[in-house]
Amino acid sequence: MMATVDTPHLLLSALALGAAYALVAVGFVLTLNAAGAVNFAHGDSVMLGGVAAVLLGVAAQAAGWRVPGVVLLPLVILLGAALGLAIGAAGFLPLKDRPPSAVFVATIAIASIFEQSATAFFGPAPRSAPPVWREGTAQPLAMIAVAALVLGAVYVVLERTQLGRRFRALAQDREMARALGIPATPLIAAAFAAGGGLAGLAGALLGHQFFVVANQGPGYMLKAYIAVVIGGWGSVPGALAGALLIALFETFVAASLSAVWAQALLFIAVLLVLLLRPQGLFGEPAGRRA
Amino acid sequence: MNRLREMATPSGALLSVFLVIAGIALASGGDSYAIRLATLAGIQALLALGYQMVFGHAGALSLAQGALFGLGAYVAALVALSAGGGAWATLSLPAAMIAPALLAAVVGAVVLRLETHYFALATLALAQLIHLGAVNWESVSGGANGLSGIPTLSLIGADVARGWPMLLVTWGLVVLIALDTAWRRAGLRGAAQDLARDHPLAASSIGLDVARLRYVEFVAGAALAGLAGGLQAHVVGVVSPDGADIAVMIGCLTAVVVGGRTRVSGAILGAILLVHLPEWFRWLENRQLIAYGLATLLMVVLAPEGLVSLIDRALRWIWPRRRAPAPRPATQSAARRARIGAPAVQAWHLSKSYGGVRAVDDVSLRFAPRDTLAVIGPNGSGKTTLLNLLTAVARPDSGTVTLGGLSVERASADAVARAGLARSFQTADLPGALTILDAVAVGAHRQPDEAARDVAWRALRRLGLDAVAATPVGALPAGQRRLVEIARALATQPWLLALDEPAAGLSPAERATLADALARLAADGLGIIVVEHDLDFLARFCARGICLDRGRVIAAAPFAALRRDPAVLAAYVGDRA
Repeated sequence: MMATVDTPHLLLSALALGAAYALVAVGFVLTLNAAGAVNFAHGDSVMLGGVAAVLLGVAAQAAGWRVPGVVLLPLVILLGAALGLAIGAAGFLPLKDRPPSAVFVATIAIASIFEQSATAFFGPAPRSAPPVWREGTAQPLAMIAVAALVLGAVYVVLERTQLGRRFRALAQDREMARALGIPATPLIAAAFAAGGGLAGLAGALLGHQFFVVANQGPGYMLKAYIAVVIGGWGSVPGALAGALLIALFETFVAASLSAVWAQALLFIAVLLVLLLRPQGLFGEPAGRRA
Repeated sequence: MNRLREMATPSGALLSVFLVIAGIALASGGDSYAIRLATLAGIQALLALGYQMVFGHAGALSLAQGALFGLGAYVAALVALSAGGGAWATLSLPAAMIAPALLAAVVGAVVLRLETHYFALATLALAQLIHLGAVNWESVSGGANGLSGIPTLSLIGADVARGWPMLLVTWGLVVLIALDTAWRRAGLRGAAQDLARDHPLAASSIGLDVARLRYVEFVAGAALAGLAGGLQAHVVGVVSPDGADIAVMIGCLTAVVVGGRTRVSGAILGAILLVHLPEWFRWLENRQLIAYGLATLLMVVLAPEGLVSLIDRALRWIWPRRRAPAPRPATQSAARRARIGAPAVQAWHLSKSYGGVRAVDDVSLRFAPRDTLAVIGPNGSGKTTLLNLLTAVARPDSGTVTLGGLSVERASADAVARAGLARSFQTADLPGALTILDAVAVGAHRQPDEAARDVAWRALRRLGLDAVAATPVGALPAGQRRLVEIARALATQPWLLALDEPAAGLSPAERATLADALARLAADGLGIIVVEHDLDFLARFCARGICLDRGRVIAAAPFAALRRDPAVLAAYVGDRA
């Protein structure tokens, strides 16, 4: 039996959720392409972005500044980027010549450090981040606007600049890029910073409606991971499309069945995608890595 | 006997660990809290031993081990509760093992083929499904509150009380599993397993069924996770969704990474530390979990082999072990096998394209024992692809290959190797830590260690490597590593041998030695097909040859004539233009 649902309203919240997931997934795939390794702490960077937004909001209020959340976002992005750099420095650089599972395990450890630190110092209870502009319908619209702006900027950098060209060369063929004299390490560091910044921003955007909880990192990690698998491993537009698809799926299944079924069916769906179409739903990936 | 001796180190470590545990429990004066902790450490050790099978021995980064532990706990709880003290209660542990093993058997059949990151994601999704079920299937799992009042373990009517009896049962199981694992990994069998994990292609080329090895370890690891979960349910008396949480997985990963990924004593040490360290660091309060993460990260970066290997190295530095006795030459046995029924390779109209480029185009050939067939041609002419098609490393788009009665185009690479066609690759994948003798003896993994080393000795002597048999593979220059790989292929005692650029990286003198050795092997009845650029090297032992150009056979002739064939010369000149 279908519950009666307000479709336009649902669509709006699905797109807002998708916009935030897209930031998470694109950040994940940028790091993946540059480093050739899975950054499992990515989901916890999202969570810490939410934590930063909550704490900055509280601090601003305590100082008596009545500013909308959007003013805090650049700071959250910077903090996220610093976090991303730290992940790269501790979990990737010392392990770059070892099998991919070493980076995997190291970043799982970092994810657990992040989560436990948040539990210990931020508390396990859910808290809400300040809205981007205002409460209510303005929030999903603002989420979509901010995400579109930032993803547009990422697109321009990737497609129109020398940095972006080097980046794509590195993603396509690591050996060849090195042979052409493209310095890999600074680019990989940049990718970790970009990934962390996008994750932090997503956390701040999600933190108002969906709250910030210390243990939500693995959930976001899984969403980004699934989006990249659906979109084709290593494909940036694929990750974006995958993220939107997941958000639509989640929102509409949750509205018509239940939130639990939305989660369960998503996991079952991803298992089926892995088994039947490991190259993703939208054709061939750029290459098999990690 | 040899295997027992090689097991001595792990089992010795095991015994001491067992004594330590008993010591901790005793020193506490039978304090029930200390006994309970020691029991929980044993449970963690079982879980870690299971995870070692999956992550350590099979090299599959599963993220479902924690959830399978939780599944075992729920199943044991449900069986024990519904038996209500009746005879069925005995089944709680077997059921706790069977349920996760069945699930792993079904899921593993498909997801184990996936690459590292996909496999990790698939197992993570599975873990999340189990956790969702535990939280939300309230009529069975009790929802967020879980199940409580789980009775003590009952074994054939006898109650195993919490406290000392449960401690002994748990650690008895740890010792059993640890001894079994140590026995299965002693000597060359462990080396073969390591090769399958680190270099699956090389492992299948000597006849190891890599997929089957991974599958068995995955299912066995799941059964152990379930056993540990079942014990936990009986010890603690309650199960809740927390038992299937990602935190259990992280703990188990920590234990294995900190203790050591492949060492039995490492799993036990890691588990003891995981359970007991928080007790010693109570002042960290709820921050000990941060310390777990830091410890795992530090170990991965600084000591990826784990604490046990560090301790080993430290001990060896303090008391240098007497160098292992140099391997002795084998007694020369009459090893020549009857050649009746020796298979030949027959290929008809093979074609294979990669992305629109015809790498191999309508190639037919035959070679049998005693044949020596050279495959030459300019770079990119499809020579390696042809070898891959003949050895089931790649599948043809069309055409057929038979090896005796085996249809190679439908067989796996390991089946081809077992049918008597061995091969070498352009990059020699060898385990650096083994001695050359053992690295080669792994090729004869289907024989007992002693016999396998005899076979390896003969193979090394044929290639003139017997003088360096006791040195570690890692100390060899690249060219000689090729020779070791060829020796390993010979140790599978093949009828036929496919070599991919065996002379690359060898000095002229080494090339001559290798060519003479191959000539003698062919005279003894081995069939050899060889891809190589050095025509003078080939001329020393090849009777026939074919030349490929853009995937097609442009010439086939006795080797001496092939070198002068105008089409061959044109292909090579064309390549340079």
